[in-house]
Amino acid sequence: MASDIIKDLLVSLAAILFFPGGLFLLLCGLLYEWIDRKLLAQLQNRIGPRWFQPLADVIKLLAKEEVVPEEVDARLFIGLPIVALAGGLTAALYVPFAGLAPSHSFNGDLIVTIYLLSLLSLCLGLAGSNTLDRFSLVGATRTLTQLFSYEAPFLLALLGPAFAAGSWQIQEIATYTETRWLLLSQPLGFLVAVIGLMGKLELPPLDAPEAETEIVAGALTEYSGRGLAIFRLSKGVTLILGLTLIAAFYLGGVSNPAFFFLKTIALLLIIVGLKALFARLRIDQSVGLWWRYGTLLVLIQWLGMFLWGGVMT
Amino acid sequence: MEKVQTSRSFTVPIGPQHPALKEPEHFLITVDGEIVTKAVVRLGYAHRGVEKATESRNWVQNIYILERICGICSHIHATAYCLGVEKLAGVEVPPRAQAIRVLVAEMERIHSHLLWLGVAAHEAGFDTLFMYSWRDRETIMDLLESLSGNRVNYSVNLLGGVKFDVDDELARLIYDGIDFLEKRTQHYLDVVTSDAMFLQRTRGIGTMTRSQADVLGTVGPTARASNVYRDIRVEAPYGAYGDFPVKIVLDERGDLEARFVVRIKELFESYRVIREILDNLPAGELSTRMPRRIQEGETVSRVEAPRGELFYFIKSNGTDTPERIKVRTPTICNMMSVVKLAVGHQLADVPMIVVGIDPCFSCNDRMTVVDRGQGQRQGWTWEALRRYGIRHYQRLAR
Amino acid sequence: MKLGTMFQDVSSSFLRKPVTEKYPFERRTPPTRLRGTLVWDAETCVGCGLCATDCPANALEVFVLDRKEKRFALSYHPDRCTFCAQCVSSCRHGSLAMSNEVWELAALDRTSFTIHFGDETDVELALAGKTASNAEASSE
Repeated sequence: MASDIIKDLLVSLAAILFFPGGLFLLLCGLLYEWIDRKLLAQLQNRIGPRWFQPLADVIKLLAKEEVVPEEVDARLFIGLPIVALAGGLTAALYVPFAGLAPSHSFNGDLIVTIYLLSLLSLCLGLAGSNTLDRFSLVGATRTLTQLFSYEAPFLLALLGPAFAAGSWQIQEIATYTETRWLLLSQPLGFLVAVIGLMGKLELPPLDAPEAETEIVAGALTEYSGRGLAIFRLSKGVTLILGLTLIAAFYLGGVSNPAFFFLKTIALLLIIVGLKALFARLRIDQSVGLWWRYGTLLVLIQWLGMFLWGGVMT
Repeated sequence: MEKVQTSRSFTVPIGPQHPALKEPEHFLITVDGEIVTKAVVRLGYAHRGVEKATESRNWVQNIYILERICGICSHIHATAYCLGVEKLAGVEVPPRAQAIRVLVAEMERIHSHLLWLGVAAHEAGFDTLFMYSWRDRETIMDLLESLSGNRVNYSVNLLGGVKFDVDDELARLIYDGIDFLEKRTQHYLDVVTSDAMFLQRTRGIGTMTRSQADVLGTVGPTARASNVYRDIRVEAPYGAYGDFPVKIVLDERGDLEARFVVRIKELFESYRVIREILDNLPAGELSTRMPRRIQEGETVSRVEAPRGELFYFIKSNGTDTPERIKVRTPTICNMMSVVKLAVGHQLADVPMIVVGIDPCFSCNDRMTVVDRGQGQRQGWTWEALRRYGIRHYQRLAR
Repeated sequence: MKLGTMFQDVSSSFLRKPVTEKYPFERRTPPTRLRGTLVWDAETCVGCGLCATDCPANALEVFVLDRKEKRFALSYHPDRCTFCAQCVSSCRHGSLAMSNEVWELAALDRTSFTIHFGDETDVELALAGKTASNAEASSE
């Protein structure tokens, strides 16, 4: 009896710490970061990093001394990256990752997941405004500005499939989309979701919050060692979770592990292609882009869905 | 680090160490939110004492120290110096040497403008254009290496001529390379004039009117993009530019896009001139004999570097070392336009505006101010400097 | 106004080999005019020392041991050399040239940064003379 409880505990611990959560998720994040960099290099006619480069970067950063700047709330400075990573890892509990069913599921977990994923931007913004560094401050302002601009369209774009499936539970939506490619019926929503993910991860052309030629590293300027490593890991986690969500909702389900990797990597290729093709937008331009076009596109999508629904019934 | 001011505006330092700048220079940008309200530049971080160093080396050795003022437009510095010294010595340089000098100068302009295109694209966050333009720039670097034996400091110039000849095989290589580059350049012109995302960062940004360009004393492509008719190759042809005339490239708009267009169109002009020179390369000697000691006198030598007018003042006292060499590089002339134009733009546009003049900071630093903190500076007013000069020469005369 | 004007470049690169050269593993043949390390021809040298005078980096030292017997030695410092080839141009007898084969000159010790040209005994003599003159200079 007691041994059964211990066994159960060990299994769930292993699930959280190693597979499919925790360590495996982090390593997958690093793998996707490498694929991202390698593909971008290929598109730019370069060689790109070797496969272990993201891992080596993280190990190096973990080994480095973490400099806590003066006149900074040290607890916040050290705590924020951990909160960001924890948010990403918690979100992973509700997402059908690597072909497995999510370990937890309840009605409305889609909203919880989206907000847990936003925790990264929020922590970045707070980390930037926590320091006195001017680049960090400008970067934090831009991060938060961008958060308020992409979040609404991104949320609406992910609610499209939820509306189609008639459920706000990721597991149910994923089951619903297993046989349907919503990309075909909701192309605008898909587009907004992909670009929204790029905005969330501050990828070019929406990388104004960390534009290195203007504000060095944006909100992360003052981070050097462990904190930077953890922020990078949580970016990797957010990347892979975002890809999973979009692939599950729009690309015909991810219940098969092979399809999961195929579809998420195909999605990554689209993102890398967009990264390579466009010049960086200024922060006012990207806010304009989101409110002028992004939101409008999603609303058109929703209008279409309502009308279609009306016609069908 | 200074503390951030409590009011709505605060200052953002760009430089001396900053990813946007590949060389040390300090811009102190006061911003209100994202809008720049004031910009101040501080020069002098890369003062190397080149001018003083020339006074302890002989005329020949100075070619190479002056060539190293700029890593990108190295040849044009040596050319300006050699033209000046040859004028002082009254030596006539063979036409073939003059043509080869111009040939290399135009190849260097191609290399410099393509480099600038990449850097400017990178500042705008358009790394793909950066990678491709630098990839294609390798073509011209390889050609320069085949011609001179070095990729950067070509050392083509000698006092009284050039070192390297252009034979048929090399000419064919250059023709091929230019043909390839011309196609690519046309493509880049299309990209910078039609890419909607890129135009958002360049069109209407940093607009400098013609009168502003005149008042601020801008030179080179920066001035020509504001429709200022200013190109030494056209106005005062030196070397072989008399035989191989260049058409001036102008643009009326004066914004960043115009600067892209002017520089890229200048590339076509360079391709044309290079072809013309290779077609009609004058026969003859490569160099002529040059005296070791240059007769007493002083002269001014002006050439058109890729970034604008390059100015040399050379004074000889009849020995084998110069008495004074003064260099004024184009960046210093264009620097004030940056500070002026940045005001009213967004912080995000500042790196683009800085790069828009194609700055070469290490070249322009001729003096430095040592500030020991607490505002203890020692400076010379113009009047004090003049009085000191008069006293100095009176003492010498005695 | 177009979007994604570089699509052609980007998509064609997808299947293209990167242009980056993996330098130590892949080497291109250097151009014939490449300015590598200096080569000295003792036969034609007359010991005028013009190369050393014109060298902007003081990378050359010419030792004249016996002008009549044509006994000269030359010390070359590749670490100071700027590879401008002025010495090659200055030499009126074509005794100097720059190799296009030897150009990877990086080393971990300093001994390879001084190259002595000339007969071995001449070099020894020249170096002995140099240290002697140095000692003289310091004692003065």
